[in-house]
Amino acid sequence: MYRDYGPKNVKFFFVYKSLAHPELAGDYVQPFTLDERRAHARQAQRQLGATVPWLVDAMDNRLKHALGDRPNSDYIIDPKGVIVRKRAWSHPGEVRKDLEALVGKVDKVTREEDIKLALELPPKAPAERGVVPRIKRPRMQAIEIAPVIDPKGRPFYAKLRAEADADAIREGKGQLYLGFHLDPFHEAHWNNLTPPLKYKIELPDGVKIAKATGEAPKVKPASDCDPREFLLDVEAWTTDKPIKLTVTYSACVTDACYVIKQEYLIHMRRDRDGGGARGAGAGFWGDEFARQQIGRSKRNDGKVDRTEVIGLLVPHFEKLDTNKDGYLDLEELKVAAEWLNKHHQPGTPVPKKEK
Amino acid sequence: MKRVLAFALGLLIAGLPAGVASAQPEKKQKNEAEFAKEKPAVGDKLPDLTVYSPDGKEVKLSSLQGSHVVLTFGCLT
Repeated sequence: MYRDYGPKNVKFFFVYKSLAHPELAGDYVQPFTLDERRAHARQAQRQLGATVPWLVDAMDNRLKHALGDRPNSDYIIDPKGVIVRKRAWSHPGEVRKDLEALVGKVDKVTREEDIKLALELPPKAPAERGVVPRIKRPRMQAIEIAPVIDPKGRPFYAKLRAEADADAIREGKGQLYLGFHLDPFHEAHWNNLTPPLKYKIELPDGVKIAKATGEAPKVKPASDCDPREFLLDVEAWTTDKPIKLTVTYSACVTDACYVIKQEYLIHMRRDRDGGGARGAGAGFWGDEFARQQIGRSKRNDGKVDRTEVIGLLVPHFEKLDTNKDGYLDLEELKVAAEWLNKHHQPGTPVPKKEK
Repeated sequence: MKRVLAFALGLLIAGLPAGVASAQPEKKQKNEAEFAKEKPAVGDKLPDLTVYSPDGKEVKLSSLQGSHVVLTFGCLT
């Protein structure tokens, strides 16, 4: 559409907003600064290979909030700045119909298979992954955190993701997840030759937490990039007052290592911009995913054809159809899910297929 | 080659879970109907907010006037 309608004076923009699914497709974590967000947008341009320009929402997520707070919506604005179409879930085929009505049809429609996207891999982790077992944390939600940023200090090489279960958010009693995830954009790894990451929590009056101090496990390899995670029982966290968390860790970038001490304020309330993590601990890809895809077919014959898949599955359908029968069956979709787990959720071992 | 394919798969599939939801016509219609009622609605002016280009320049949304504009919300994941 960008190719077809760009020459007709239609401007297209992807809007970068807070991550909908941290840890997915490259272990990305929520940026803490606008500079980090802009780096994400530049990486998205490279990684997706598309030439459509990006706009980056401000750190207060003003545009996301002002336009309905959906993860994947689209809007069409007329030349006077008036909204003429809006859709909660973006659908390229429908956008094309809208543009045909608003601007006119094009002589030659560019098809998805005509586009040769120059896809680029996510940045490679600078050290091993899959060394430290992940903590399982299904059905938890991101809660609000505020990193205490010192503009003159070192970046947050490791970024906190805080989540809580529904009981903790609703009643103040439940489980709290604290995960310190290395940000791939800073290309840092843990320095395991020094004492492991430690945290210390200062609590408001009345709030109880199982372990107000904690230390990550010692790790044998000299370096790695796995998250350092903790699951804590909390009680009586009904106050609006935040807890204060101080974390100390040693991280290395290129040939220099630093001991870092950083602080966060954590509120026990759902973070509307936190997204739903899709990492190894959060659980995602698997056989269920493959079965869901099969469910897209109206034929009920246990497979999907080219017309039933969406998005980037379309131009890559042939690669995925390994038996070349013109369909993706359950086994082909399971292999797809396994590959995704292996390459995009480090730490989740992929069972080898028996020969 | 396998790695490239794996990456492509990642991208392919990353966009799908909600696509799965969109395959449920009733749910999708309800979602769209609710979204249509929310402000700003069709016919309203786009709020004139300031956002940024990836290279750090401020962009006022009103500066985009003069053309039809398609805004699609996304991110890396």
